[in-house]
Amino acid sequence: MNDLAELDEIAELVRVDAVTRRFPLDHSYVSALDNVNLRVAPGEFLAIAGPSGSGKSTLLNLIGCIDKPTSGHILIDGVDTSTLNPARMTALRREKIGFVFQTFNLIPVFTAAENVEFPLLVQGFSSGERRQRVAAALESVGLSARANHRPDLLSGGERQRVAVARAIVHRPALVLADEPTANLDTRNATQLIDLMHDLNRRFGLTFIFSTHDQRLLEHTDRIVRLTDGQVVADTLTAESIIPQNLSQGASHGQVLASRL
Amino acid sequence: MGKFLLLAFRNVFRNRRRTIMTLIMVGGGVAGLLLVGGFFARMFWGLRESTINDGLGHIQIFTAEHFNREEKHVLDTGIDNWRQVAATASTGGHVRGVAPRIEFYGMLSNGVKSGVFMGSAVDPVAESSLGFSPRLAAGRDLDSKPSGETEALIGIGVARSMNVKPGDGLTLLAVTSDGALNGIDVQIVGLVNTGFKEVDDRYLRITLPSAQRLLQSDRVTNLVVGLDKTENTDMVAAELAPRLRGLPQQLVLKKWIDLAAYYKQVRSLFSTIFVFLGVIVFFMVLMSSVNTLLMTMFERTREIGTMLAMGTPRSWIMALFVVEATLLGIMGAIVGVVGGNLLGFLLNHAGLHLPPPPGTTVPMAFRVLFVPSLMIGSSILVVVSLALAAIFPAIRASRLQIAEALAHV
Repeated sequence: MNDLAELDEIAELVRVDAVTRRFPLDHSYVSALDNVNLRVAPGEFLAIAGPSGSGKSTLLNLIGCIDKPTSGHILIDGVDTSTLNPARMTALRREKIGFVFQTFNLIPVFTAAENVEFPLLVQGFSSGERRQRVAAALESVGLSARANHRPDLLSGGERQRVAVARAIVHRPALVLADEPTANLDTRNATQLIDLMHDLNRRFGLTFIFSTHDQRLLEHTDRIVRLTDGQVVADTLTAESIIPQNLSQGASHGQVLASRL
Repeated sequence: MGKFLLLAFRNVFRNRRRTIMTLIMVGGGVAGLLLVGGFFARMFWGLRESTINDGLGHIQIFTAEHFNREEKHVLDTGIDNWRQVAATASTGGHVRGVAPRIEFYGMLSNGVKSGVFMGSAVDPVAESSLGFSPRLAAGRDLDSKPSGETEALIGIGVARSMNVKPGDGLTLLAVTSDGALNGIDVQIVGLVNTGFKEVDDRYLRITLPSAQRLLQSDRVTNLVVGLDKTENTDMVAAELAPRLRGLPQQLVLKKWIDLAAYYKQVRSLFSTIFVFLGVIVFFMVLMSSVNTLLMTMFERTREIGTMLAMGTPRSWIMALFVVEATLLGIMGAIVGVVGGNLLGFLLNHAGLHLPPPPGTTVPMAFRVLFVPSLMIGSSILVVVSLALAAIFPAIRASRLQIAEALAHV
């Protein structure tokens, strides 16, 4: 097992500083996260594990800039998200983050290719660029042949792979996956895990996902365990695959662009 | 933009049953407006043409003093050299003919009983050449031969009141241009049913020579100009006015619309009713669409959350809903225009008749006109209505909290 202190030496993609998130409940508050600290380096393959209600999804939502902490700070690629107005927050999500959801959340009236194309459409890419990137993304998840199928004609595993392609097509700095294997059978779950891990290794993509799926945890390099909103363990389980050049401060986007 | 429109278009058909119901509702509103509006338009057209062809004509020529006169003697302000004026008017394009008239009033008597009449003296040949023929209930029209100079048509109300019939005689009394009381005997040759009881109770029509003999004057009150088409009225009036200025007597032109007070009242009343119907349809479409679109928004909450999470601007989400509703409105308008015209065609060929309108005695044939401006107007109305209906759901959708939307079940 590696020493966690090594992570302090490399560049940070995500930094969570003393973050607390409380939700109102009747006339009081319930604490979903309590003084959480976390640092994630570019290229990590990190799992946030814990039982239901431990705060996994809340932490992912906060890192994904779709929720705001009650107190504390979250920095994405060096940008303190608490200082951003809604428009800049939206722009940060659009450009730096990709999402994979437990229930796939594909747009049902779009084909697989159109779903993958959507983030590029939002970012204003030209049609030629969109076509090229969509083809590459679908190929990277092994779904080129299913590009023109709508989600209702795809299996659960295929839908989640489309969701992964959609999450990586715009070459984000970070991919967040909330319980990505929860709705998949063992075979599809294993394929998805392998796929994400492969993308992580090949392109140096940073993956943070919440899960309590043991199959997924077995393939994870680092596991952050949450209980009652607090980090109770942060362990490295395998040899770190953090690309050397990233650890030396190279732009994460540049590396991805050159590889994807 | 193309993909965005494609998404909106496909979303419209996501729930087909609901879309079909909405299209039926929107289309029904448009079709209803087209049928009612088309029926009103046909009614206006029918009333306009019957008003003109019942003797009003397209243009009438009066002396300038006619409308400022104190009604002392009928022909004091009449047209002197009316044959020259008629000849001048006849030479213009689109003019089918010119008919001289004397509008006068007086008393009539059957020897036992007297009553008041509102008379009109005409040249039967000129009138028939313009297609002006009285609505005879019995007997025949006036004869243009010299023997017809003592003939008269009376309204069915006059006949009932005076207890006379075709073939019977009446005495007419009127004040001459000199202020003397004069009288002539006429023979009733026909009874007229104008469809308006108030008119039928006072109606009298005699030949121009009879009236000139009764009123002791060679003048006429007015000249009625008949055109080939009503649509040419403005053009002919504009062309004729300067030519009349060269004549000795100062004359004025009045277009049919200036003289058709009843037509204008009917048109104004039914136009108001139609606007009211339009407002009802507008709000009907608006309110029911708000409900439908809100339902759509709730069903797609998680999808909207996903799009927002991916960095889609909130304005895009708003625009998506408004575009979807607008597309729905356009399709509904197409359904309505096609359905309304089809229904109108079927109704026009069904031979339906409506009860006589208020103030008339003749049943009215049910006809619907196909009015392009009405189709465009109704379509715009429902499209705008649907676009407005989308604003509230669109705002709600765009303001969804992403984390909550993603957790929506």
